[in-house]
Amino acid sequence: MKTLLLGAAIAALLHITPTVVLVKRQDAVAHLLPGADQFTAREFHLSSADSRQLYDAVGWEPPDGMVTFYVGKHQDQINGALLFMRIDSQHGPLELAIGFDPRGTIRGVEVTKATVEMKPWVLEALRAGLTDAYRGLTPDQAPAGAAKVKPRIGAMPGYMAELIDKGVMHAAAAYRLFYGRK
Amino acid sequence: MLYDLGRSDVRLRWLVTLLLATLGTSYLFGAWMVGLYAGFSTTKVAETYGPAGEMMMAMQMPPETTVVSERPVSMAEMGEEMHHVDRDLLVQDTHVHMPMYAVIAAALSVIVLGLNISRSAGLALITLLFAAPWLDFAGMWLTKLASPRFAIVTLAGGWAMALGYAIVAALATYQMWWRKP
Repeated sequence: MKTLLLGAAIAALLHITPTVVLVKRQDAVAHLLPGADQFTAREFHLSSADSRQLYDAVGWEPPDGMVTFYVGKHQDQINGALLFMRIDSQHGPLELAIGFDPRGTIRGVEVTKATVEMKPWVLEALRAGLTDAYRGLTPDQAPAGAAKVKPRIGAMPGYMAELIDKGVMHAAAAYRLFYGRK
Repeated sequence: MLYDLGRSDVRLRWLVTLLLATLGTSYLFGAWMVGLYAGFSTTKVAETYGPAGEMMMAMQMPPETTVVSERPVSMAEMGEEMHHVDRDLLVQDTHVHMPMYAVIAAALSVIVLGLNISRSAGLALITLLFAAPWLDFAGMWLTKLASPRFAIVTLAGGWAMALGYAIVAALATYQMWWRKP
């Protein structure tokens, strides 16, 4: 019986908390592709070689081999592209929306989802101005938002900032390597 | 049987009743969640756990060269994220769910040990309780790695879980509170 109770306690401790929406995806789209009224999904089903190239660049590849950019247009003029990116951690997944302007620089980053446990840490990192650090970065510049905010926030919010840096880096690499391909 | 649940102290019968009620409630919400995120048809399960949401059937293996496609989408479609469980998420799901499934199967098996049923029926019931989560996750992994057709295994696992619980709950409740000693 003791083993059973211990097992139940361990299982409960291991369980990842539910996901919460921090910013609705539609709101993220409206914010990161302002003025766009037509949208297309540009989907890249990556070859093994391209997956490997992405992995070699940033240590990540999409698990199912798919990268999808949502392209926003107004009066047939492209006004930007957006990518939703999931980052997994032992505390559960985070989802980011990373918007690029037509020149390819980062227009903004929104954290759209976190888990109940991670939410306060993420909010603390965001209040410290984490996402301001990404604005205007070109796809070949390494994001360094975590380094900027870490002195002002706690350890776990700092860890969240590192995860968000990583997500932005993955998105930027995907943009740099694939977005312009036809 | 290792102990007689039907003749046991009222405190034990009350504990088992509350455990079954709590598990039953969590199973109902589990079914609701499955309906929301994965669905009860083989097609829906295959879409959720298959190789990749949109291109599931056509492209299980990486193409020789990267394939690019573009299609119009509405704002609503971008907001409606299809719940797709990719490999990394399935690793995480398996890691966090399997221990809990094992504990639930063990708790229900301890109840089975106190039921007034034959040894072979007890063995069969305990096997069913543990086989169900194995089928559930084996189905998810086979759907992802082998073929979307294995979605049926996940569905079988889900229904087996419900069946195992229903049998244990019905027998235990009857033997604890209705059967005359």
